[in-house]
Amino acid sequence: MESYLDLLMAQQGEVTIEAAGGGGVWVVADVQDGSLAPVTLEAIGAARLLADSLGAYVYAVLLGDGVGDLAAVLFQAGADGVRVADHPALARLGLEPYLAVLADLFAAEQPEVVLFGATEQGAELAPRMAQRTGGGLVEHVVALDLDESTRTVRGAVPIYGGEYFEVVACPEARPQFFTVEPGAFSSPYLDKFRKGEPTPVAVEPVEAAVRVLGPAEGFTPPPVPLARAPVIVAAGRQAGDFALVEELAAALGAQVAGDRGAWDAGWVEAAQVVDVRGVEVAPEVYLAVGIRGDTFHNAAIEGARYIVAIHPDPDAPLFEVADLCVEADPRAVVPLLLKAYQA
Amino acid sequence: MRVVVILGQVLDPGGIVVKRSAGRIFVNRKEYLIQPADRSALEAALRLRDADESVEIVALPRGPLPDDDLLRRALARGADRAIYLTGPAGFASADDAVMAAVLAAAIARLGGADLVLTGDRTLDSGQGQLGLRLAETLGYPQIVAAWQVTVEDGAVQAVVRRGDAYLTVAADLPAVVTLPAGALTLRYPDGVRLINIYKGVGEIAAALEQWDVTELVSAEALSPAWSLLGKDFPPERERGVRVEGSPEEMAQAVAAALRQKIGSGR
Ligand SMILES: Cc1cc2nc3c(=O)[nH]c(=O)nc-3n(C[C@H](O)[C@H](O)[C@H](O)COP(=O)(O)OP(=O)(O)OC[C@H]3O[C@@H](n4cnc5c(N)ncnc54)[C@H](O)[C@@H]3O)c2cc1C
Ligand SMILES: Nc1ncnc2c1ncn2[C@@H]1O[C@H](COP(=O)(O)O)[C@@H](O)[C@H]1O
Repeated sequence: MESYLDLLMAQQGEVTIEAAGGGGVWVVADVQDGSLAPVTLEAIGAARLLADSLGAYVYAVLLGDGVGDLAAVLFQAGADGVRVADHPALARLGLEPYLAVLADLFAAEQPEVVLFGATEQGAELAPRMAQRTGGGLVEHVVALDLDESTRTVRGAVPIYGGEYFEVVACPEARPQFFTVEPGAFSSPYLDKFRKGEPTPVAVEPVEAAVRVLGPAEGFTPPPVPLARAPVIVAAGRQAGDFALVEELAAALGAQVAGDRGAWDAGWVEAAQVVDVRGVEVAPEVYLAVGIRGDTFHNAAIEGARYIVAIHPDPDAPLFEVADLCVEADPRAVVPLLLKAYQA
Repeated sequence: MRVVVILGQVLDPGGIVVKRSAGRIFVNRKEYLIQPADRSALEAALRLRDADESVEIVALPRGPLPDDDLLRRALARGADRAIYLTGPAGFASADDAVMAAVLAAAIARLGGADLVLTGDRTLDSGQGQLGLRLAETLGYPQIVAAWQVTVEDGAVQAVVRRGDAYLTVAADLPAVVTLPAGALTLRYPDGVRLINIYKGVGEIAAALEQWDVTELVSAEALSPAWSLLGKDFPPERERGVRVEGSPEEMAQAVAAALRQKIGSGR
């Protein structure tokens, strides 16, 4: 089926994909457990917007073993062409076999822009491909836009995990590689009427240099210190039932902490006390259950990105710094919250 | 066996205040830390040497540095040699592609490396390209985000995470291995070494060398691709949103907010 762009290009009569010297905006699909990672579709959506402004096509590359069926979804999401490298040697991510396919493909097709998901696969492949092709690479972008006059793609990179962003581009380098952060771009509408014929890619099997020996017997990762924990559930005196707080933390995959009051109550140890005289924290999410929030506590959570406070007293000072304020008795709300979160 | 450790420094985020509405960053305390992931890499190198005295550890910087303090810290902790890289004014804007070329040349001048260790991601900009661009330039295999590193019979073994499980993987030397922040806790410096390296006395002081990058790579190799165009600030936080309704409705609202915030985390 011809895309809108095909029709437009046909009307113009002159510019063909061959004449433009390949080019295009490419997305290297990430297949996890036999299906496309959501970030791949998000990247197709971002690629579609860039390609429409550039007057270019969107191509997706599928690598794996028995992945051909996934091409249909890539077309529906907005790809104009899909290249499929389907081979048992690609059954699991291995650097050298994957690089061999991509290097040959990109040498032939000369992409202008290449997007990977900021996943394990993107982290392994994008820097190697960028260095091999002399391309520029910006990793973990959360927004993309275009300088149309120079065909330069600009990416926004979170600094210190999103305290602010740097807008970065590689204006002289081609291809322009990016890895896009999962969840940062919206997933495109899947147009059931959008179809295409995938193009198979020949695969010369290459052996991966890294050998998997097996499960790491007896290895346990070091505990994340409270100061670096991404999610914290902290209890205060008004929490009432500390066991429930621990249960909530487990459900959220969070570390348990408390304020001075929780320490007085014997619920937490000194190393778990959030207070400028104890531990200062900077999590993505800080959920305070029954914490009033004195000056020392509130100063210690200044670095938190999102603070939820549950406390019965509307005048609790924590409500002044919290993002989401729940004026209620934790004993009533927490069990319901547990149920709602797990639903 | 020569282990090259690539180290960088980063402004302590605790000393920085970002004012979103003003679109400005205030640096209250200009203190540099060793990049957290690079701390794991240095500790991994030191542990390899604990296991095998013949391991030589050479510290190299992951980018241009304002001074050699970072390298002194590495020497104080047990690195055998550290190379401070200087260059023309343009070297200050070297990016990871430039540094991959510079470091590959520096490693060649050292007489090669059996193992290159560095962090998997910087704390500030989150980039993980340097070690892997270097691996590509050197033509070495790479192991990304290793939690533990050992060497045996000419091969490096590492523990990596795949989903929720941890696997042991191996690659023949020479190889590049990157480590995540928090994988290994960097030891404290030895007091005597620390004092001597800062006083500039004794053998350890001679371990700090200074090389000029123009002797390593051509002038063209020093032009960066990466161009910083500006800064952007997220909207000011909307504080104090109250949740209304029955306890059930409150619980639903909080659960929805948590799901969104925890799901979209790093
Ligand atoms: C005898 C002596 C002489 C010295 N002379 C000099 C001198 O002449 N000039 C000079 O500039 N300095 C000098 N210093 C200080 C030295 O340079 C270092 O600043 C000091 O050794 C700390 O180094 P560090 O490697 O531990 O720093 P880093 O390890 O980088 O860290 C600095 C601090 O931040 C903490 N930290 C690091 N990373 C993190 C993280 N991710 N999260 C939370 N916290 C973190 C560390 O625990 C540490 O407290 C001297 C020190 C001594 C003891
Ligand atoms: N903890 C430290 N932090 C920074 N500089 C230091 C520290 N200790 C000593 N110095 C400096 O290191 C140099 C040698 O100090 P000293 O060992 O006291 O003779 C002097 O310039 C000191 O000011």
